[in-house]
Amino acid sequence: MSKLLRRALKISIVPAILLIAGKFIGILCTSAIYNLNFQISNDLNGLFSVQIYFPDASTTLFVNSISNLVMVLFVALPLAYFIIKTTLYHTMAHNPRTIVKMTRFNMLKWITAKDTSFLTMFIWCAFLWIASGVTIAHTLQGSTYPWVGIVAGSVALIATLFTIKTFEIETDNIYPTEHKYY
Amino acid sequence: MPSQKAQKFKKVLSLVVEPIALGVLALLFIIPTITVMNLSPITKKLQDLNILGVNTQSAVSVTLVGGKHDAIIEENLNKTADTSYEYSTQLAGNGTSSYSKPVLEIKNNTDKAQKVSFYGQTLNSIKSNIYLKLDNDNTNRKLQDDKGQTYSQEITIEPSSKVVVFLSVESLSSVNFAEEFDMQIKVVENL
Repeated sequence: MSKLLRRALKISIVPAILLIAGKFIGILCTSAIYNLNFQISNDLNGLFSVQIYFPDASTTLFVNSISNLVMVLFVALPLAYFIIKTTLYHTMAHNPRTIVKMTRFNMLKWITAKDTSFLTMFIWCAFLWIASGVTIAHTLQGSTYPWVGIVAGSVALIATLFTIKTFEIETDNIYPTEHKYY
Repeated sequence: MPSQKAQKFKKVLSLVVEPIALGVLALLFIIPTITVMNLSPITKKLQDLNILGVNTQSAVSVTLVGGKHDAIIEENLNKTADTSYEYSTQLAGNGTSSYSKPVLEIKNNTDKAQKVSFYGQTLNSIKSNIYLKLDNDNTNRKLQDDKGQTYSQEITIEPSSKVVVFLSVESLSSVNFAEEFDMQIKVVENL
């Protein structure tokens, strides 16, 4: 088995779990905080038989919106962490001012090559696309607030731009552009 | 020679494992997507189930007895708050001078006696006396008289016991037409 495939498998497990956990925790926490009654029951209409039921449409809309937002944040926050780390890691190599700032904040040990690869960011970004895609689909179906769909779409777009930037940095390392390295 | 064999085995193994790994990678994307879509809550009227972790049982539970009756039809029971319910039915009459039907089963799930109040009326006066009766006594508890005057009634339910409430109608008029009857049921206090 190739190294790339093995790494991709290893990296994909955590965001896959976080995606499901985010949705589930979102539903449970919203129901617990707002003291909402819900029922877990069997319904043979879907691919899986387990379904979560709420008594009225407005409660369902509210819980679905919040749980979708939590799901997007569960994937977006680690990705934001990777983006910040990668940006700082690559900026430090060329900018002494960043090194001075990082030293002042005592964060030099944190800036390592770990978690700064394009593959990690691409896989996390792919899961963010899934989370945003599901949220936008729900928004179009009317089962999620429009602002949640807009937030999810915007977060996915920004994350994609940063992932592309990381890809450019990595390709620059492999095939340096003339004006930078010669 | 053995190392050559091992290398050959590794090569064959990688040929077999790689497509499987690709499939697993694809599943790692597909399964969360389907799960998340399926986890999305949907609207459905919740059943009053007493299953651990699903729903908690009320101190006093009120349920419809149900069943078919010629004169008391289209029965409905709604829980309007934690301690109050609303019962509604159509009194069809059908030429009968007096009729009665078990309508509600009230269960006290606590270890204290509970007081439950009833307040019911028809939309228009139907020149009938409407009573509540319990299965464990023969007392007629008047809810509405033939002039349309309404009365509130209270019953006490002993700890961990249940009573069946009958709706009884005594019609004084020969004219019969369907009339809607509504009744509020409220758990007043524990004694």
